[in-house]
Amino acid sequence: MTRFDAPLHEGFTGPHVRDGGQVVGTVGVGRRTPVLSLRQVSKRFGAVEALVDVDLTVHPHEVVALVGDNGAGKSTLAKVVSGVIQPDAGLIEMDGEPTTIGSPSDAHQAGVATVFQDYALCENLDVTANLFLGRELRERSLMRDGEMERVARGILRDLTSRIPSVRTPIGHLSAGQRQTVAIARTLIGSPRLVILDEPTAALSVAHTAEVLTHIQRLRELGLGVVLISHNLNDVRAVSDRIEVLRHGRNNGSFDARSVTQEELLAAITGATQVSRAHPLDALR
Amino acid sequence: MSGSQSSLRGANRALVVETVKRYGGLTQVELTAATGLSPATVSSIVKELLAAGAVDTRSTIRSGRRAQLVTIARRTGLAAGVDVGRRHLRVALADVTREIVAEQSLPLPAEHRADTTLDRAALLVVDLLERLGASLDDLLGLGVGLPAPVEPGTGLVTVRGVLRGWDEVPVVHVLAKRLAKPVLVDNEANLGALAESRFGAARGYQDVVYVSVGAGTGAGIVLSGHLHRGFGGTAGEIGHVQVDPQGRICRCGSRGCLDTVVGYPALVEPLTETHGALTIRDVVQRAVEGDPGCRQVVADAGAVIGGVVAGMAMVVNPQCIVVGGELAQTGDVLVQPMREAIARRVPLNQVATLDVVPGELGVRASVLGALAMALEATDQAAVGGAPDIADHSDTPAGGGS
Repeated sequence: MTRFDAPLHEGFTGPHVRDGGQVVGTVGVGRRTPVLSLRQVSKRFGAVEALVDVDLTVHPHEVVALVGDNGAGKSTLAKVVSGVIQPDAGLIEMDGEPTTIGSPSDAHQAGVATVFQDYALCENLDVTANLFLGRELRERSLMRDGEMERVARGILRDLTSRIPSVRTPIGHLSAGQRQTVAIARTLIGSPRLVILDEPTAALSVAHTAEVLTHIQRLRELGLGVVLISHNLNDVRAVSDRIEVLRHGRNNGSFDARSVTQEELLAAITGATQVSRAHPLDALR
Repeated sequence: MSGSQSSLRGANRALVVETVKRYGGLTQVELTAATGLSPATVSSIVKELLAAGAVDTRSTIRSGRRAQLVTIARRTGLAAGVDVGRRHLRVALADVTREIVAEQSLPLPAEHRADTTLDRAALLVVDLLERLGASLDDLLGLGVGLPAPVEPGTGLVTVRGVLRGWDEVPVVHVLAKRLAKPVLVDNEANLGALAESRFGAARGYQDVVYVSVGAGTGAGIVLSGHLHRGFGGTAGEIGHVQVDPQGRICRCGSRGCLDTVVGYPALVEPLTETHGALTIRDVVQRAVEGDPGCRQVVADAGAVIGGVVAGMAMVVNPQCIVVGGELAQTGDVLVQPMREAIARRVPLNQVATLDVVPGELGVRASVLGALAMALEATDQAAVGGAPDIADHSDTPAGGGS
């Protein structure tokens, strides 16, 4: 039995094709059409201005982090994109096409998959059933259990997850494993954009490590990822770009590779104010 | 007939061992699901492996029920290896037979800070111990690798500025205080050299140069089987050899260092116009997939690094050069131009062609070296003599080696 020479590579499985998805690879990210583009999106709840003229652009193969204080509008924005709530004003484009996301199933149709803070998993069902909940594979009226299990195993392996069995009920899994299942569920149906709302909140360091590794995998699979988080350390570890929201408004856009913790904190707390981005900037 | 029966049995046994290793600890029920074997088969294989001393079992509770937790048998204690990179933290636990029993990596932000990262490293070690059903009492010691020259006794970075946010942090003291265990710290390229020369591509060679190419470039030197650290721990810091006298100022303070030419961000800069902002991981992935621009950048880096390594080889006269680090995952895209640059220096190839080979341990070389360092130290403490790897070559699984 060998010792230190077990599997060596964690990352690269070569070109990756998902049915209906894109081939990840040799095209540059710079000039591509954004998978999601929000322009001047606003949402009010009575007197509360949850979002005011917010812009957000996400490209394929890009992790964009949304950071901000409590109530800055991060989760509201996630809900707008995932069809849970409708904006009062503004334009949503998917792949350059104006799109209306009127309901969560519209969002699913458009290729948006969301993981909310509470995971929204069924405790009594097993991993496979949760992954395919509401989207079961059927042949006439019969469920194709074997096929679903096979796909479930494949996706969990893609994410390099540590869930031993796709037949384990969710109730038996740890918090970190549940988060993994919730992220894995986003990959059913070949999405183009994955939204993760506070995926590392209340996780141990080992589970945080797993989730951040999953996020890197989603990016390598060619997906656009929106990562909402309070933890600037986690955000700077896996993002390409960081967008700061403050009181429902854009307050700065930063390159995650070069921004410092101090600059981010200043933008989040309002120590630095960004002049309103011109709406036409998004068109460049 | 009976031959295929017993070989099936052997294959199933290997599958159970592999699965237990992959997940750290599993109950028998989980093991049945994860391997796809029948409960009776799993139960009898676990009994066999237990009798052979390959696995341990203990009672645990899973969702309110009593269950048997199966883990890989440990020979008296565990050591932890911690590899701190510029953008990652990798932690692995191994037992004294050098079998890795748990492993996890964590992406880190650029310019991560010593306090947060060391805190996370300590917590990750404890989390991994828990995954195995072990506790801190089982931990014999820690080996830590840093991407900078360090003073082994204290873990202080010896060249100011090369690892921002880590100057004047006594890593040994910080972690030893936290975990109350012996801690050893070394440079990541030195540890990679140690690992590759003990268990990797340079097994059996006495004089070896290991080159680690990633966000920065470094080298580790093994002379007559011993790691050569130098007086200030800066031996092999080829990332700070001058290659461009008119070049940029490096973070170390000198001008035109190798790292300012082929390190991050200089490496990805020529690609921004055509490819957008890329990370080192992206460049590696795309080069592997055949993107011509990314291959060009990696190959050109290989040629420049090869020139510097050729000079170093002239001084050290190694038997072989092992290339590791993140960029080495591109294989010959990086290694071939290095090989050519080194082949051009005639005296190096007089007796025999100087071998330039990719590492066998991949991006895990440093963490494996850190484990080896920690385990060798505990061996020395136990027997009071020189470390001897061969003493521990018995295999826990009872199979052939």
